[in-house]
Amino acid sequence: MTIRSNRDHAQHYRPRMTCLKKVEALVVEMQDSKSGVTATEQKLNVTTIPHVMTGQDILAWIANKMKMDAEEAQALGTMLVAYGYIYPLQDHKKLILKPDGSFFRFQTPYFWPVQKWQAEDIDYAIYLAKRNMRKKGTLEVYEQARYNEFHKWLNPKWDFIVMQATEQYRANKQRQKADRVVFDCQERAYWIVQRPPPRAHSALDCMDRLVDPNDETRTYDHYRRTTIYLQQAMARSRVKSTVSLGALVKYINTYKNHDPFLAPCTPSNPWLSEDDTYWELNLPTVEVPTKMRVERWSFSLMDLFNDPRGRKDFKLFLKKEFSGENMAFWEAAEDMVWGSAASMADQSQTIFKTFLIPGAPRWINIDGRTMGLTVKGLEHPHRYVLDAAQTHVFLLMKKDTFFRYLKSPVYKDMQKRAIVPPLHNYSDAQVEQNARNRRPGTDPILIWQQLETERKAADLAGKPVDISTIKNKIDRK
Amino acid sequence: MGKEECKTMLDALNKVTACYRHLVIALGSTSDSQNLREELKKTRKKAQELAVANRTKLTTLLKDKSISKDDRVEYERLWVLFSSSMELLEVDMKRSLELGQDFPLKVPTRHLIQTGMTGATTTVAARAMSVQNMKYDADANIDTADLKDLETEIVQVGQMREEMEMKVQVAPWAVEAKQEAGAELKSTVSVGNSSVGVISICEEEPKDGEEGESGIMKIFAGIIFAVVLLIAGILGYLVINLS
Repeated sequence: MTIRSNRDHAQHYRPRMTCLKKVEALVVEMQDSKSGVTATEQKLNVTTIPHVMTGQDILAWIANKMKMDAEEAQALGTMLVAYGYIYPLQDHKKLILKPDGSFFRFQTPYFWPVQKWQAEDIDYAIYLAKRNMRKKGTLEVYEQARYNEFHKWLNPKWDFIVMQATEQYRANKQRQKADRVVFDCQERAYWIVQRPPPRAHSALDCMDRLVDPNDETRTYDHYRRTTIYLQQAMARSRVKSTVSLGALVKYINTYKNHDPFLAPCTPSNPWLSEDDTYWELNLPTVEVPTKMRVERWSFSLMDLFNDPRGRKDFKLFLKKEFSGENMAFWEAAEDMVWGSAASMADQSQTIFKTFLIPGAPRWINIDGRTMGLTVKGLEHPHRYVLDAAQTHVFLLMKKDTFFRYLKSPVYKDMQKRAIVPPLHNYSDAQVEQNARNRRPGTDPILIWQQLETERKAADLAGKPVDISTIKNKIDRK
Repeated sequence: MGKEECKTMLDALNKVTACYRHLVIALGSTSDSQNLREELKKTRKKAQELAVANRTKLTTLLKDKSISKDDRVEYERLWVLFSSSMELLEVDMKRSLELGQDFPLKVPTRHLIQTGMTGATTTVAARAMSVQNMKYDADANIDTADLKDLETEIVQVGQMREEMEMKVQVAPWAVEAKQEAGAELKSTVSVGNSSVGVISICEEEPKDGEEGESGIMKIFAGIIFAVVLLIAGILGYLVINLS
C-alpha cells in the first residue's frame, strides 16, 4: 500500500503541461482517416497491421495543417514523438521524427502522457517482469539493473508484481496475434518515454520538486544554517521516555491533591462560592497557615521558598540553628536578580562586603572555584553575576538544611498548629447571598507594605550577632 | 483451510484486475466499441464483488487473535497483495472514467485513435469473467449511462480503501516477498511457443537476441546433419562390406 501522504503536493512546482491537452487535440485530428495523415499497412511475416504512417507523411501533414515550414514541422513532430503520442517502429529507442520513410504509429490514449497520472514504479516493475518473461531472462543491461533494484526496494510488493505480470501476460495471449504485437510495441514505447534508458534525453523530465525553484530566499547560507541546527539537534542528549514519563507521574502524584481543578479547594473555591475565606486563610502574612500549605512546603525547597509564610518559618528555624547566612545570601541574590538596574552596582558591593570577603560578618561557605568566578564577575556586575554562587548555596540548603528543617520541632509544631478549614457546602441561594454581601478585598499594596515592614523588623532583629563586636567586648573585659 | 480459499480468491481478483487493465488500455483506440464498454462494466462489477469477498475474508482472518505467528505473516502478505490489487483497480477505474468521457461512442463522428489494434477484446473479457463466451445484452447508450455508475463505484472503492487502511493494522513494508527475482520465468509454462513466434513477427525487435537464438539453432542443425551423414556412411560401408 502506498503511503498516501504525497498527494501530488509537488504539483505547484512542476511545470504545468497545459500543452498536453492541445497536443491531444492535434493528434486526434491527425489520426482522422479522412483528413488526417494517410495510413498504410505494415506487413510482417504473416500478418498485416494497419494504421502505420511514414515520417515524411506526418511532416507534410503537420506543415500543411499548421502552416509551418519544414523545420518547425520537424520540431513539432519530434515533440510528438518525444512525448509519446506517436512512436517509431524501427529504432524504437530514438525518439525523434525522421523525415523519411520510417514507420510510426499512434499511441493508445491510455499511454498518453497525462499530468495527473504519473507512471508508477509498480507498473514499471510489472512491465519489466512481463518483458523478462517474453525475452526469457535476457533483459537489456539497464533494464536488468532496474529490475534488480525493484526487487530490492519494492520487495514487499514483489509477490504482487510477479502475480500481476503473469496474469497480464496471460490476458495478452488471449488476443489475436496482430493485436498482441501492437500491444507489446505500445507498451514498450510508453516505457521508453516514461523511463528513458540511461543517457537518453527525456522530454517529460519534470521531477517532483518539493521546493519552489523560484524561491530566492533559499540560499546556500540558509541550508548551511539549517544543517548546523539539525546536527546540533541530533547531538542533544535525549531522555528516555520511561524516565521522563516516570518523573511526570511522580510530579502528578505529589501535587494532585493541591490542584484546585483536580481536588476540591478547602474551604471553598472563591470563584465559585463567592466566599473569599480561602484567600484570607492563605495570605502571606497569616499567622497560622492551612495544613495543605504546610504539606506543600515539604515537597521541595523551591515550594518552601516560593511561599512567603514558608520562608518565614524556614528563617525561624535557621535562626535557631545559627546558619542563616546561606538563606540571607540567597535572598540577597534574588533581590539583585529582580531588582532595578540602577541599584545593581550598590547591591553587588554590599553583598560582596557582607558575604564574600573572607572574614565577612556573614561569610558563606562556597567552594573555591565558584568563589573565584563570583569575585571576578563582581568587577563588572550584572544581574546574574551571583548565579553560580546562588545555585551552590541553594543546593547546600536543599541537601542538608532542608531535611533537618523537616525533621525539626519548628516544622512539626507548625504541622500541629496548622488548621484544616471545614468545607463550606453552599447551596445556590447561599452563593447568591455571598455574592451580594461581597466586601472589597484587601488592597495588595497594603499587603505589600505590611510585608515590607515585617521584613525590615525581622532583619534588624534576626541579624546574627557580629562575632567581632562580641570578641571586642570579651577582650575588653 | 482459510489460507487456500484466500489464495484462490486473491488469484481470481488478480486475474480480473489484469484483464480490466488490458481492457482499459484498449479504450479510445480502434478496438473500442459498445462491446468493450459493456465488457468493462461487467469486469468491473466482478472485480468489486471479488474485492468485497476478499476483504471480508481477510479481515476476519486478520482480526482473529488466536492465529500463529507464521499464519499471521502469511495473512499480512496476502493483505498486501489484496491492497495492491485494489490500488491498481482504483487507478484503472479512474482512468477509464476519464477516457470514457473523452472518447464517447455516440457522436456522429467518432474520433477513436487509429492505433493498429483492430481485434476485439472478447476473449480477454471472457477470461476475466471465467466464461466461455461473452453475452452482450446492453442497450445502445451504455457509454454515457455507465459513466455515472462508474463514478459512484470509484467513490465506493475509494471509501473501501480508506476503511481498509484505517481498520487493519498491517505494516505493508514489513512483508517479505516469497518469490525471488526472476520467479515469473518459472511460472509461465507455455511461454516457449508463442513468444518465439512473436519475436519473429515483430521485425523491430533488436537483432542481438535473435542472432543468439538462430546461431544456436544453426549449430544444432549442423550437428544433427553431421550425425545423420555419419550414420549413413557407416550403414553404406556395412552394406558394401556384407554384400
